[in-house]
Parts: sequence; C-alpha cells; structure tokens
Amino acid sequence: MRRILSSITDGKGFDILLVSLTMIFLIVMAGLPLLYNVLMSFQQVDMFNLGTFSRPFIGLENYQDVISQPEFGLVMKNTAIFVFGSIIGQFCFGFALAIFFMAKFPFASTIRGLFLVSWVMPGLVVGALWGFILAGDYGVLNAILQALGVTNGTMFWKSDPNLSIWAVTIANIWLGLAFNMMLLSVGLAGIPGDLYEAAELDGANGWQRFSTITLPMMRATIGAVLALGLIYTLQQFDLFPAITEGGPANSSSVAQYWAWQWSFKLFDFAKGATVSVMMLIFVLIASIVYVWSTRHEVRG
Amino acid sequence: MKFSKVKLLAGVAFAAMAIAGPSVAQEPVTITVWSIDGANQAGPSDTFSKEFNEQSTDIKVEYRTLKFDEIVNETLRAYATGSAPDIVSLDNPDFALFSSRGAFLDITDMVKNSDVINADAYFEGPLNSVTWDGKLYGVPKYTDTIGLFYNKDMLEEAGIAEPPQTWEEFEAAARKMAKPDQGIYGATLSARGNEEGTFQFLPVIQMSGGSYKDVNTEGAREWLSMVKGMIDDGVMSQDVLSLGQFDSTGTFNSGNAAMAISGPWEIERMVKDADFDWGVTLLPTFKEGDERSSALGGFNLGIMSTTKHPEEAFKVLEYFVSQDDRLFPEFGYLPARGDIELPETGVEKKDAALKVFQEQLKYAKPRGPSPVWQKVSKAIFDAEQAALTGQMTPDEALSQAQSTIDSVVQD
Repeated sequence: MRRILSSITDGKGFDILLVSLTMIFLIVMAGLPLLYNVLMSFQQVDMFNLGTFSRPFIGLENYQDVISQPEFGLVMKNTAIFVFGSIIGQFCFGFALAIFFMAKFPFASTIRGLFLVSWVMPGLVVGALWGFILAGDYGVLNAILQALGVTNGTMFWKSDPNLSIWAVTIANIWLGLAFNMMLLSVGLAGIPGDLYEAAELDGANGWQRFSTITLPMMRATIGAVLALGLIYTLQQFDLFPAITEGGPANSSSVAQYWAWQWSFKLFDFAKGATVSVMMLIFVLIASIVYVWSTRHEVRG
Repeated sequence: MKFSKVKLLAGVAFAAMAIAGPSVAQEPVTITVWSIDGANQAGPSDTFSKEFNEQSTDIKVEYRTLKFDEIVNETLRAYATGSAPDIVSLDNPDFALFSSRGAFLDITDMVKNSDVINADAYFEGPLNSVTWDGKLYGVPKYTDTIGLFYNKDMLEEAGIAEPPQTWEEFEAAARKMAKPDQGIYGATLSARGNEEGTFQFLPVIQMSGGSYKDVNTEGAREWLSMVKGMIDDGVMSQDVLSLGQFDSTGTFNSGNAAMAISGPWEIERMVKDADFDWGVTLLPTFKEGDERSSALGGFNLGIMSTTKHPEEAFKVLEYFVSQDDRLFPEFGYLPARGDIELPETGVEKKDAALKVFQEQLKYAKPRGPSPVWQKVSKAIFDAEQAALTGQMTPDEALSQAQSTIDSVVQD
C-alpha cells in the first residue's frame, strides 16, 4: 500500500497519473467526437435520430452522394488553391520578414511584435475588415489599385468567380503571416552566429550562406511550420462566412465551409460529417509530416 | 452549530411560503416561447410575451430571444434532445422542415373551435406555409414581400413617364438611367448566395410558369441573360452577387442606383435616408397582363408537438394573434391577414408604398413548403449565381438545379 502511495507521489505512478490524465482528456475531448463523426458519416441522420445512437447504417451512400454533387470537384479544387496558396504565401512572406527582422536595426523586435496583432485578432473581425478592403464598388483595395493606375475597371473580388477564392486566400495569408514569422524567427535565432562568420571568412556570398547554412539548419522548423500551416489553413473557417460566403456559386467554397453548410445550413448532418472525414485524411498526412519533421527535437 | 440553525430557519420559511403559495393561486404553467424578436429592437413576440405575463396568473410565458442564424439549429437540437420550447417562431420556408415531420402540433381542430383565430382570414401564401398535407400546424405571425423601388427624380431626368411594368421596360429604363462614369447604376437587387438570392429569384421562376419544383422555364432563362447583360455592361453592379438586400437597397438610398428590388422593411429607413423623391411599383412581369408573382417573407408561430401543455400553449398563441392589429403601427410589420385595416401614417411616401405592397401581397407565393427547402434553395441560388457570373449558360445552370431538386424532392 505504502509502495503504491509513494510511487504516486514520487516515481512511476506519478508519471502514469500525469500521462493518463492527458490521455483521458484527449480521448474524451478529441478521440470520441472524432469516432462519432466517422460513425455518423456511415449513417442516415435526421432530426428524429439526432439525439440517439440508433440510426440506420447506409454504408457508403453518404460518400457517393457527396462525391456526385455538381460542386464537389470545384470545392476540392478551391480547397487545394486555398491551402497551397495560403501556405506558400504565408511561408514565403513569413520567412522573408523573419530574416528581415533578424537584421539589427532600431526597434526591430518591437516592430516584429506589432506584427502579432494580426494573429491575435479573431477571424471574424479579420474577415469583416478584409470584406471592406475587398468590396467591389467602394472597396479600399480597388481605390488603391485605381489610384496607382494598375487597373481602370472595378475588380469585384467578392463577386467574380475567378477572384473570389483568391480574395479569401489573400486575407488568410495576412492572418497567418505573423505566426509563420514568429516560428521561423525562433528557428533562425537558434542557428549559431559563428557559422555565418566562418562562412563569411571563407568568402561565401549571401545566397550561399542562406542555402548552405540557413536552410539546412532550419529543416525541422520549416517542416513543422508547413505542417502546422496546413492544419491551421484547413481549419480556417471564419474568413469564409465573413468575406464571400463561399460564393458566387461555390467558386470560393472550401471543404471546411462546405461541411458546415451541409450540417448547419442544409441540416444534413451526416453529409457534413462525411466531408469532414474526407478532410481528416489530409490533416492526418500533415500530422505525420509534423511528427516526422520534429522527431529530432531534443526532449528533456 | 450556528450554520445549521440558519439553515433550519430558512427551511421553515421556505416551507411556509410553499404552503401559503398554492392556497392563493395554482402553480402557474410555464410556456416557453422562442423567437428572434427583441434581438435588435423590440418586436411583437417579446413585447406580447411580457404583456401576457402582466395580465395572466395561471400561465407564465418564458421568452427567449435567439439569433436569426441560430434559431433553426437550436430548435432542431432542442427537439432532438427532448428539451424543445412550447412555442417557436420560424421563418416561413423553414417551417415545413418541422411540420412535415410532425414536430409541430396539428392545431387544425383547435383553430376550428377558436373564437380568436380564423384561418380563412389569412392570405393564401402565408397560410400555405403553415399547412402540410391539408393540416394546420401553426399561424402566420406577419408577412412581407418584394416590389420595385424607383428614384422618381432620375426617372424624370431620363424622360421616362411611368415606372417599368415589364422586365423589358425595366431593362430599358435601367440602361437609360445608368451613368457608369459617375458610379450610378441603373438598378440593383440581391442575388446573394443564400436564402436572399432565392427569395428574389424564385418569383421570376414562378411568374414564368414554373415553381420551386420546376425551375428551368424560358422566362427564367431570359431573365438571367438579361441581368447578366446588365452586369456585363455596368448597368448593374457585379456586387449584386454578394450584397444582401439591406446593403443592396443602401446603394439605392444613397442615390447610386436608380431602381431597387426590395421589400417594405426598407420603407422606414428610406424615408429617413433617401434625399430624393421615390416610389414603389409592383414587381415587373414578362408581358403586360401576364401572371404576377412575388416573394413571400415573414415568420410563423407554431406549437411544438412535444409540449406538455398544448391547451395553455394555444391560449398564448391566441393572445399573440389577438394583438395582430398592433403589428403595423407599433412594429412596422404587415399582418398576414386581410381583415386588418392598416391605419394611415400621415407620411405620404410611406402610405403610398404600403398600398403597393399590400396589393403585391396578393400575388406573393411561399417558398415551398418543403421539408428539404434548404437544399432546394441552395440549388436555386447556386444556379442564379452560376448563370450571372457566366460560369454556366442559364440553361445549363437551371437544368443542373433541376436535377439536384429532382433528387431531393420526393413527392
């Protein structure tokens, strides 16, 4: 008895206790809902059986229905544009900013801190702001573009099917920029300065220093940033209802918005679950990349 | 020790109150009412609930305000978990989702025996939206519809004597009044990718001989081509695809559009904001003397079938209906019945506009009723948007919508 007690206060028991608390939390808050979601995607769900578990199983019918929707291809294409456009944009601009702020100039770290404002703001607020910026007739961006002489006509960012998905992507790049910059800054700060000094003495130019020191040293950070970016982008939802509502004619609808639309606008909860199970596969791939790229991290 | 004494005393006091209570009056029955009224400003349901409590002793109304976007979801969830309210007020196209599944109480017989509620007094459109399979599942709360607002000053300036009565005249007038170089559009409407888009586009389908089950009409195709042409030529803003009715009408109020398709809920704001002479006319038709149609808006009231006190709930419903004559003077809503005279307000433009909308209400047709309305609606607004952006031809878009509708509507 005393051995068990002492092991709980100090020893293996304590470790197990801590781990099991976390595990229970994860299973209850993430695992069960996830399984429930997968289960629901194989069932027929309506308002009568929404509150119970005993629902008719219909096999893969939900999946067939979702795939045969006329907008399915468009939504998948948009999701790809949104995810890759956002990640590439966030990463490139974030990296550039991170390197820029590594340079020593007055107030560098203060200004870098200010960039975090975009990350702190709620998605709906950011969406509303970008809604104003991207508006057609009275939009800020159009006024700027016209003043600069880039375009004469009005660019209907929210109403033109060729622009709408890009409108949301631009807003999302802005939103995720600071997060990318911060993580990459941390990675950059971890590279020992004497490596650069040595390379400089050996006559390496800027590009050579970047490609042979910075990039290889940042491999783990970059992998993590990209994987997290994929996950955050796939769960980015607020911008869609606030800017384009997935329109016009689904031209800016992405999987996560579509899933919400199925569940909470069309009240077909099973199809909503089906779309999110499909998304789960993408997130799973991202998670594997994330775990793999951070496997060398020192653990205490 | 001290604590337990206090508790004991409190317990005695409560017991005394509990004994004294019932001897004076019976335990009141609580009826919960859910509605969106009172979210921004005082509305009928919240006001009438409060007043009901002041004059009633045996029934107590517990009122809850929900947001427009949440009320259907909340009601679904509450119904599924067995905690539904007794009375709920829903937008008319959402009503059939519940009535078709028996989630609303069949009140046909109760209404027949009621001295207050007279089903025959209601306009046909609103009454249809609370009817399913020949049975009555609720009562219309209030109603609205859409017509064509026009800027009289601009019309005069363009030398047009009468407001357009056909879509052909509508297009001609819009093209004549548009001044792209000054940022003035000829007309505006809402083709937004949500219920608002369907609300404004379905009447076009209906007046060309179609219905929500039969959308690919020649008239609808013509109309889509016409509007697309107007957007392409800058006579109408492309932003009609993302603007809701409120924002779309806002551009009319500020003088940036010469005509606007919108409804009576805008009158109040227009009287205040628009510094020009304006009027309202009926929604145009395809040819003079053709069948008219318009959208039917407004909310309904229904008793949930899970209620434990159907009779008391019906009494509350009767009280709400008995206050219908206050809907317009106090809240600016149009009653859904023909037996209530709207008093003159003394504001000339407002009174003239109301007359037109009351006439228009005769032609208003409900969306549905269909238990899968939300899916039908998405097919319709998706088709409208696809055609207006040129992603598909009107025929392709409407036939795609038709096949989606065929696959979800089963009757």
